[in-house]
Amino acid sequence: MSEQKLKHFVPTPPRLPATNEQNLLRRIQKQCFNSIGNSLLTISVLVLIYYVAKSFLDWAVFNAVWNAATRRECMDISPDGACWAGVIDWFNGLIYGRYPDEEQWRVNGGVVMGLLWLLPLMNRRIAYRNSILISWITLYPFLGAYMFLGGTFGQDVGIIHMVFTSLAAGYFILLYLNWMLCAAGQSSLPERVTPLTSKLFRRGQHMNGFLLVWAVLSILCGVALAQVNLEPVPVDRWGGLFLTLIIASFAITMSIPVGILLALGRRSKLPVIHWLSMMLIELVRAVPLITVLFMAVTLLPIFLPSGAEPDKLSQVLFAVCLFAGAYMAENIRGGLQAIPDGQYEAAQTLGLGYWLTMGLIILPQAMRLMIPNIMTSFISMLKDTTLVSIIGLFDIMLMARNISNDKNWIGLHTEPLALISILFFVMCYGMSQYSLNLEKRLKAHRS
Amino acid sequence: MNKFASALAVSAAMIFVQTSASQAEEGTSTLQTVKDRGSVSCVIGNSFPGFYSLNKEGEWQGMDIDMCRGVAAAVFGDAGKVNFLPVQWAQSFTTIKSGKGDILSKGMTWTLSRDVSQGLDFLDTYFYDGQGFMVRKDLGVTSVKELKGATVCVLTGTSSELNLADYSRTHGLDLKTVVFDDSAVRNTAFFNDNCDALTNDKSGLAAQRSAAPNPADYVVLPETISKEALSFAVKQNDSEWANVVKWTFQAMVAAEEYGITSENVDDMRANSESPIVRRILGVEGDLHVGLGLPQDWAYQVIKNVGNYGEIYERNVGPNSILGLDREGTLNALWQDGGLMYAKSFR
Repeated sequence: MSEQKLKHFVPTPPRLPATNEQNLLRRIQKQCFNSIGNSLLTISVLVLIYYVAKSFLDWAVFNAVWNAATRRECMDISPDGACWAGVIDWFNGLIYGRYPDEEQWRVNGGVVMGLLWLLPLMNRRIAYRNSILISWITLYPFLGAYMFLGGTFGQDVGIIHMVFTSLAAGYFILLYLNWMLCAAGQSSLPERVTPLTSKLFRRGQHMNGFLLVWAVLSILCGVALAQVNLEPVPVDRWGGLFLTLIIASFAITMSIPVGILLALGRRSKLPVIHWLSMMLIELVRAVPLITVLFMAVTLLPIFLPSGAEPDKLSQVLFAVCLFAGAYMAENIRGGLQAIPDGQYEAAQTLGLGYWLTMGLIILPQAMRLMIPNIMTSFISMLKDTTLVSIIGLFDIMLMARNISNDKNWIGLHTEPLALISILFFVMCYGMSQYSLNLEKRLKAHRS
Repeated sequence: MNKFASALAVSAAMIFVQTSASQAEEGTSTLQTVKDRGSVSCVIGNSFPGFYSLNKEGEWQGMDIDMCRGVAAAVFGDAGKVNFLPVQWAQSFTTIKSGKGDILSKGMTWTLSRDVSQGLDFLDTYFYDGQGFMVRKDLGVTSVKELKGATVCVLTGTSSELNLADYSRTHGLDLKTVVFDDSAVRNTAFFNDNCDALTNDKSGLAAQRSAAPNPADYVVLPETISKEALSFAVKQNDSEWANVVKWTFQAMVAAEEYGITSENVDDMRANSESPIVRRILGVEGDLHVGLGLPQDWAYQVIKNVGNYGEIYERNVGPNSILGLDREGTLNALWQDGGLMYAKSFR
């Protein structure tokens, strides 16, 4: 047996660290100038970008007029620059439409309140986050409507509206009190009252404490609000970005429940529900939104008794809600179909009924799967709301068109539209970024 | 079964409410409805400079707006008690027919077919307009007849498009139309030299000219190729209400003729010796009784809104957005050669 040589491990020399890759210049060279063809392409694209950006900036910034009394004056100062003075002059109109100047704080207040209501959702430690969302959908509209419409309790404001506005205000205050107590490390207000109520009621102790505190706060709010006299502002004075946001947020919020019901209906084994949902979805999806809007404005009044004709905004909200719901239903149905049968069977094995199966097992997974699609629908709904200008609601588009018919700013079309494009870009981009963030978070949560 | 029965009952009740409500509507006149409602509903459009447009405070202004405000002043003595309904073109007739709107005042041209087939009664023409042409000055054209073979920017679906085709055919001009859907786009196209001429109602042409980068570069040709009598209309077969609207306008024109303005109306009412002025302002006579209006209705119209001349000056006159001279046009008073002729207040 010959002596075999032992094999020694000889490490190969390490490769040089890829420092070149870190260098920005080198990276650009490698990616954009790695061949003659690519270099030419890069250069021509850069030239193109330069010219587009330069002419836009020249128009929008360098040659623009910010301060003038009329469009003629703008043109005299700088004939080929944007006339932002007109947009600035009409800015309030673009944002609030025909809402009276001295009442515009109410719009701001109402919108801020709506956002504040959702703010606790950012805090992941807070309990019952779902209930905050549900309360926002069910209660906030009453409070918002009271802020925007105005009126006096007991006179212009109906009894139901009064009660719900008080409940909403009470809940809002309770929410913030709890959050503050929670942040301070104290036990929440309902928990403090629970020992009291548990003496009176044996069952559902936590709930009772909560309800008691809520009721007391609501009554206090109701009494306080009854002292306030807000100037009534009828719906036909609403407009501008404010109206656009109202319609869009209504469509977005309502599309989820309507969509879920329609999607479940379409997958239902009960023939009547199945066919009705399917017909509704297919009918609405088969016609353009503008047709649905026209139908709602011209046909809805015919179906309803002539005394009870709703205002144009309600008709539009109805149409938009139906339209958004039908699209959402198909998104959600897609999600439902992606859920493997095993999930249904597992839920049945656990003894869950239909609604619990859907609510606890299937829908959460389906919705999570469909977040990108749902967000796409939301964004397109936000943009679609600009169509309401065609049926004569003074949303931001129609207000923009009115600038060009104003005596001082006649013919000023481009600048308002440029501003609106920027506004919409900011809103839509924000929504899509939020959805990416949400996806990431939910994925992390899952794995 | 119970649920079904109650649903049936509810729908039956709804049908009953519906029929009884529509019956009630048939019976009462619009004037009574307006008085009960406490405001006049005036059907306008979205925006038409000089006739109805929003200012930045969100208030409506324009000639049509003042007509409606005048009616409100006649009925309630308060020009503010009017509710403007901006509707689409297609909806304007149904809004009047359904009783949702009381007056149609949206710069609508009085035509035979609209008068007979839309359930409307046209009452009075408050502005005589007609289709005209605007061209670049350096084209050197002085008459439409010289525009042979020219391209013309026009809004599609309007009567302007039809009039243009008619005119081109009768005069053998072989005009080529470039149609647009949106007036803003059409104007931009014209100012960028995409067509030789722009056609529209003359009142509109003046406004579009003033929006040009350099208005002096453009001229409006003298020809008027169509008749556009902008008139207000009310629901058919409601003479009581039609009288109110008709005579509100007559009061405005008569006031101008007899020199009553919103400024001197109080003075005239107190001191005028003229029996006609006294009758118009309700100092003597009982002209208001037949109209079903308060005694000072015409006084309120003039006090609140002004006479026809003032309304014209304010909204479409030389100092307004449209800058239209009144002298020598059909919109002047009859004694100045126009068509504004107030009927007798007697």
